[in-house]
Amino acid sequence: MTTIIDIPESGLSEAERAKRAGLAQRKPYVAAKLAKVLEMEERGEISPIIRLEKSYLCNFQCTHCSAEYYMDRHLQKTIGTADERPKISLDDIRKLSREADELGLARFVITGGEPLVMRDFDEVVAAIDPEKHYIITDTNGWFLDDQRARHIKSIGVEKVQLSLDSFIEEQHDAFRNKPGSYKRVIRAIHAALDADLNLLLSTVLVKGRAKTQEFLDMCKFATDLGVGLYVSYAKPTGSCTEHPEFVIDKEDADIVRELEKEYNVFTHMTPSYGSFKGCITVKGIITVTSTFEVTPCPYIDFSLGNLRETSLSEVLGRGMRNPWLGPHRPDCLIGEDPDFIKIHTEKTAGATHLPLPWGQGFSEEDSLVGQS
Amino acid sequence: MTMTVTNEERSPMTQIQDAPFLFDDHGRCVPAAEITAAVHRTVRRRFLCTQPEWDYAAIHGRISRHLPGAAAVSLEDFQRRVVAIQARLSADPRLNDAAKAVAVPFFLPALPDAVHRDIGTELDDHFLPAVHAAYRDKFPHYSFVNHHKGGLAGRLSVAPGGRHEVLLQALQQGAVVGVLLVSLSEYSVPAAIGQIAALPEDFALAGGYDLCAAMIGSPDLLMRTDGYPPLLWMSGLAGEAAKVGYHFEAYGYNLTFNRRVHLDQAAEYWASSLVILG
Repeated sequence: MTTIIDIPESGLSEAERAKRAGLAQRKPYVAAKLAKVLEMEERGEISPIIRLEKSYLCNFQCTHCSAEYYMDRHLQKTIGTADERPKISLDDIRKLSREADELGLARFVITGGEPLVMRDFDEVVAAIDPEKHYIITDTNGWFLDDQRARHIKSIGVEKVQLSLDSFIEEQHDAFRNKPGSYKRVIRAIHAALDADLNLLLSTVLVKGRAKTQEFLDMCKFATDLGVGLYVSYAKPTGSCTEHPEFVIDKEDADIVRELEKEYNVFTHMTPSYGSFKGCITVKGIITVTSTFEVTPCPYIDFSLGNLRETSLSEVLGRGMRNPWLGPHRPDCLIGEDPDFIKIHTEKTAGATHLPLPWGQGFSEEDSLVGQS
Repeated sequence: MTMTVTNEERSPMTQIQDAPFLFDDHGRCVPAAEITAAVHRTVRRRFLCTQPEWDYAAIHGRISRHLPGAAAVSLEDFQRRVVAIQARLSADPRLNDAAKAVAVPFFLPALPDAVHRDIGTELDDHFLPAVHAAYRDKFPHYSFVNHHKGGLAGRLSVAPGGRHEVLLQALQQGAVVGVLLVSLSEYSVPAAIGQIAALPEDFALAGGYDLCAAMIGSPDLLMRTDGYPPLLWMSGLAGEAAKVGYHFEAYGYNLTFNRRVHLDQAAEYWASSLVILG
């Protein structure tokens, strides 16, 4: 499970520009909303991408998965029972879609878990409403063959973000704990492109990887293929909690910033389409979990509120008022800020059900100093 | 050629009655009690500059090389006037700690009609290209990028209350020597302007020419490899619309210039700079 962000304008190929023009023709309402994002920022409004974690079912068990602790298989193992909290329904998703549309939000990412194992994937897409929102799906690629790619395109999905965690087959399969997964990713790349889906490769950056030939080879591969490579920093949450050695330092981040000059590679911190947000918590992304909680990014297990009790507008307001989340900052809060990482680690330690509710993780009393 | 203007006597320090310590142990300006605009009164110091090397000859050489007309200021005069500024700071116990701030000296050539010139045009035509050239010379593997599209002509004016007009008036009289202090970390732009009223009259907010000159002389002011430096606002200047400002910002090992809305907010990543002239 990964996050998603758009390709920087400088990295757009002719084919990508043509896809944008095509979107304006096919879905003018969506295209018009996307075109207003910068105007909204100018007014101090935000237009975050909504990551929707309808289900945490997954056919993989990746070393770095940030969603593992949300999964029933984890809860069964640790507390002996599945998550019994009320789960979001298709009606909840329709309500969320309407609220988001009213606020000018325009993008949904279906994530998980592995979205393509969801039996109600098509219904979820319909509930989001492809005529009102630009819909993206994450996938590990295992089930994305030609037929599936054409199908998801036909129901309104515009973009696929496909995880590839090493350009060396054995390393990818080991990291994903799934033999054969590299070959499936390569198959999925071609399936997505052949189906005229917008494609993004995503890869997790662990400490030291930015300096490797393998990473450089992947950057070249994506660039030569004409697709963007989204680089997600490993964060000390989820399964990665057991791998603090994965967490990058600034040198790793700066190497990627240099590679952006030559390759079609970017991170969530990379300026895109004239927007220089830095850390995108709330400003550029939110996650809606399977229990209708809203977290400010995929890797922060503190809720800003539950959408059954609190409006999306108020949840976003809470996020923007929060001193960790709202202000502009150039670094990744959960990936690079040791003070916040410490708070997050301490508060989530021993928690069985994530995210921590509003008031237990984040609250209106949060402060950058003197908090523990 | 030796510069002929001397400024030691200009703008003597005024006495501030109710502020025994105007700067903290790190050289940050202590927010005045009466400021109501957004400012962080306690800070954790996450976004910091690394002090550039204070090498008069190197700084003088860069500014002389890249800024048109700047060669008229001699190295000796530049150094003498900076030392005089330092002496003035040392002489006032309330200002001693200002010396603990990250600071860089700079100078600017005379600009006879500075008060009437369009600041944006000057930045576009002379100052930002000079920043670009100085950065390229100092860091040939990295880059300076001006992300602001459409030019600055007609977009910038002196922000009322920031005393930046003092610099323009001085430039009309002759070349200016100054020290730029990164002392207003975690102040909103309005709070930075408000803080000026609590400081002796020699202090002003950095705007366009002075901040550019500082970046030209010390291109590594925002270069940091072990952490993140702050974004530096040109708070002495108002943008073309309310709550809009222009700034320098690092992007990895690269330097950028850009515009953004600040909405009068404070952020721990944002800082403004003070300038003291000598």
